[in-house]
Amino acid sequence: MRQLKPREDKALSRSHTASWELGRNSNPRQSVSPKEPRILTASLRAAVPLQAPRGLHCSAAATAAGSSDSWLAPPPPEPQKEPTKALAFHEELFQRAPEGTRDKADFVRAVQNFGQHNVHKRGHVDFIYLALRKMREFGVERDLAVYNLLLDVFPKEVFRPRSIFQKMFIHYPRQQECGVAVLEQMENHGVMPNKETEFLLLQIFGRKSYPMLKFVRMKLWFSRFKNINPFPVPRDLPQDPVDLAKLGLRHMEPNLNATVTIYQMPSSTDTTGAADPAEPHIVGIQTPDQQAALAHHNPARPVFVEGPFSLWLRNKCVYYHILRADLLPPEEREVEEIPEEWNLYYPMQLHLDYGRSGWDDYEFDIDKVEEGPVFAICMAGAHDQATLAKWIQGLQETNPALAQIPVVFRLAGSTGELLAPSSGLEEPSPPPPEVQEEEEDDQQRQHQGQS
Amino acid sequence: MQATRMAPSVGRLLRRLGAASSRPSVLLGQPPLGPARRPYASGAAQAVLEKSDSLSPEASTRENQAKVESKSFAVGMFKGQLTTDQVFPYPSVLNEEQTQFLKELVGPVSRFFEEVNDAAKNDMMEKVEETTMQGLKELGAFGLQVPSELGGVGLCNTQYARLVEIVGTHDLGVGITLGAHQSIGFKGILLFGTKAQKEKYLPKLASGETIAAFCLTEPSSGSDAASIRTSAVPSPCGKYYTLNGSKIWISNGGLADVFTVFAKTPVTDAATGAVKEKITAFVVERGFGGVTHGPPEKKMGIKASNTAEVYFDGVRVPTENVLGEVGGGFKVAMHILNNGRFGMAAALAGTMRGIIAKAVDHATNRTQFGDKIHNFGLIQEKLARMAMLQYVTESMAYMVSANMDQGATDFQIEAAISKIFGSEAAWKVTDECIQIMGGMGFMKEPGVERVLRDLRIFRIFEGTNDILRLFVALQGCMDKGKELSGLGNALKNPFGNAGLLLGEAGKQLRRRAGLGSGLSLSGLVHPELNRSGELTVQALEQFASVVEAKLIKHKKGIVNEQLVLQRLADSAIDLYAMVVVLSRASRSLSEGHSTAQHEKMLCDSWCIEAAARVRESMSALQSDPQQQELFRNFKSISKALVERGGMVTSNPLGF
Repeated sequence: MRQLKPREDKALSRSHTASWELGRNSNPRQSVSPKEPRILTASLRAAVPLQAPRGLHCSAAATAAGSSDSWLAPPPPEPQKEPTKALAFHEELFQRAPEGTRDKADFVRAVQNFGQHNVHKRGHVDFIYLALRKMREFGVERDLAVYNLLLDVFPKEVFRPRSIFQKMFIHYPRQQECGVAVLEQMENHGVMPNKETEFLLLQIFGRKSYPMLKFVRMKLWFSRFKNINPFPVPRDLPQDPVDLAKLGLRHMEPNLNATVTIYQMPSSTDTTGAADPAEPHIVGIQTPDQQAALAHHNPARPVFVEGPFSLWLRNKCVYYHILRADLLPPEEREVEEIPEEWNLYYPMQLHLDYGRSGWDDYEFDIDKVEEGPVFAICMAGAHDQATLAKWIQGLQETNPALAQIPVVFRLAGSTGELLAPSSGLEEPSPPPPEVQEEEEDDQQRQHQGQS
Repeated sequence: MQATRMAPSVGRLLRRLGAASSRPSVLLGQPPLGPARRPYASGAAQAVLEKSDSLSPEASTRENQAKVESKSFAVGMFKGQLTTDQVFPYPSVLNEEQTQFLKELVGPVSRFFEEVNDAAKNDMMEKVEETTMQGLKELGAFGLQVPSELGGVGLCNTQYARLVEIVGTHDLGVGITLGAHQSIGFKGILLFGTKAQKEKYLPKLASGETIAAFCLTEPSSGSDAASIRTSAVPSPCGKYYTLNGSKIWISNGGLADVFTVFAKTPVTDAATGAVKEKITAFVVERGFGGVTHGPPEKKMGIKASNTAEVYFDGVRVPTENVLGEVGGGFKVAMHILNNGRFGMAAALAGTMRGIIAKAVDHATNRTQFGDKIHNFGLIQEKLARMAMLQYVTESMAYMVSANMDQGATDFQIEAAISKIFGSEAAWKVTDECIQIMGGMGFMKEPGVERVLRDLRIFRIFEGTNDILRLFVALQGCMDKGKELSGLGNALKNPFGNAGLLLGEAGKQLRRRAGLGSGLSLSGLVHPELNRSGELTVQALEQFASVVEAKLIKHKKGIVNEQLVLQRLADSAIDLYAMVVVLSRASRSLSEGHSTAQHEKMLCDSWCIEAAARVRESMSALQSDPQQQELFRNFKSISKALVERGGMVTSNPLGF
């Protein structure tokens, strides 16, 4: 029992960020920080912040935004403590289903059972909180009908404010918070409410209520932000680590000319990838431009293999390495100049210096931030030097110049520590271990944050 | 024969008159080039006149101002400004004396071409008849712009344009011979030559005793100056250069004795000490030895003119024959070309005049279905369009030449526009003339097919129209870009530049609010043309906003957006044409010319159509998503063709 609770919290908190944090970090040089998406979602989140962010999530922006929302409705009593007493009873409803085969039908039956057993719907708020947490276990967290069913648990007409004073002050606050919590979980999973939801909310809380306000906001912003992510990540990620690596690499390098090469397939697919560390998968990506840049690289200057850097794809974290070089010192840079006296009839280049406003920062220009070139990116099943050396060998086939260039491995941290969590990733994980995996991910994040 | 005998006396007359008229034209001039402000548009103007000291102080201050802000309408157009100084009112630069002199010239020259020269015979012989050449020399036609003290006629640009128009009306082959000689052949000596060079070469060139040619094009180098292979190596003693290389398609190459040759010379950079290959212009005489030429080329048109390859094999060119500075040949070439273009528009205006006369003659005499064909709507439209095109070209040619005579330095865009427009208008007019004449037009006898063949080259040489379109667009954008950056500088010191900033902010606000920029031509154009004036201003505003949007979008990359640039250039050409005809028709209306109402119709019709074209093409450029698709398709289609080495699709029959 005790073990379970914090995990569930995390599962919920993760799901906020999951839909946002992907693809935005397509630049491999940018280390993936979960803070930014958090800020985005924080502004979207209405009403009830479920719990205080933890660990890496503990960004000032997120908390500030969260608290600014809280005027709408006071935060619910600590979800960990409050429901515990009542939980013992309702928990049974969900556990009646045989282990392992939990699906929508079981969940629906559980909800219906609650209605049958409880004609007066006593404790329905606790039940709904519990059911919300249970949804992931039953795999119904993206099912609109189930949410509507949950809302249907509320007794109708009872909580509707009837007088002007009831409208002015929060009428049945605990019930309203619960309604908002349902809507919030829908939002976190990207479920768009429909007419039935609206009708239910009207019946339960009336037009002037916080759940209704939340509903209207969702209706507005969901449609606005539907396409906000220009690099959408598929909802169901491929389980195969090689496919996952391909997806991640394509995400970081959206150039369509780039070629993805599988330098090494995992030795056997039926056993788990981690079982055979000698033959982990190695998938790399390189664009023609990068190839050309590598071909022109001065062999006297070393290139570096750096990593691992993390990339989050929904709730999965993958690690990648890059092959890069240091920026050339200014004296060695060759400037390709267009000779002024080239074309007899028209100028081949324009000297346009666009005016910027006086309030602009002239010093900083993201186009002018200078860093060394990245020649290739790879994702491998193992992060040790031996594996990465195989990648470099594979790269040499298409980049003969690489044979002349010294390669320095600069692998961050101790590889062993980083290896452990990623090996867990490669396992095709059934639902219960997934929770475990996420916890490991979380640990990783904290490692990253601390290191 | 009688006519030939008449010619010498006319020639003497011209010389005498030329001498008399030299002084006023000197006063119109301006000092030779200042330091070039912009490589492609630093105005050389007509440096036919070297007496800079005769300039009044006011004139030089005026020029200084001109350098600060361009008075060119075309430059202003890209910035969304109406810079009307040069275009309104329609300039007339000739004084009483010059007009009188020109009138005395026009008669004999026209008569000469009507009575002595036989264009068809020249075309057939692929050579200008000897009697014609002799007659032209005696007329002084080989030195029209050479100052009279050096033995030329000393004409200003406007006078020159008028005479060239007559040449163009009658025989373009002869026109090319004359143009290659004086418009580009020895123009370099006029513009950049030292006193000694001028005194040595110009008298003989002006009399036609020696003929000049302009040698720039090489097998490997069309407009790409960097790939010129001809080299000139300085001798160890420093007294001469050894010139090696070959030039192709040189007009007058087989006849000329004096060549303006562009070759690469090693130039040591004073600052870094590095040796670079730079282009230098030389005056090369055939007499130096080692200059040979190939046989005359067989061509589609302008057959009467001589075109040949010229070879330079170890030619020793004395150091004093360097034209301009060593390493400054690029600038020399550009100025020569920029200065020669206005003449082409004038010649083509003349050609159109002649062709339209033929078309009208046919339309009034040919009867079909019991009616003269000029009564048919289709023929009427054709004739009307031909008249419009001629009117526009003529107005442009004289506008540009007058601006040059007024001492304007920023006429390059206008000159390029006039060349593009003239060459294309002349092609269309001649083509339509043949269409009106039907089968008759296709025959050799009426001589229209010869004109069509002759005309084709005008869209190609001295910068193909495509390349000049890029020039027009990019040169305009360059000034617009300068304005944008100027604004940025102003913003650094907002209090010191409050006026500029407020003005700009107001302009932007008005544009956003759809109020227009408050520009208006009313007061400048004749009230009867107000509607056309409004159309022009609207088109100009739309054009300027698209230019700005495109510049902000593509920034420096605009150079590579040739499809966009071409559309911008097309609209710029239409806009300039509208303003030019508005100006000319306004003058006619206010001065009460007998043809004023006719000109009003020409002007209104032109403006209606041109404004619609600008509107359509600009709105497509601005917001049509299909335009992008179109551009992409063009790219892919042409790529596929290149890959397949021809059409990609096979015959619909399948074999």
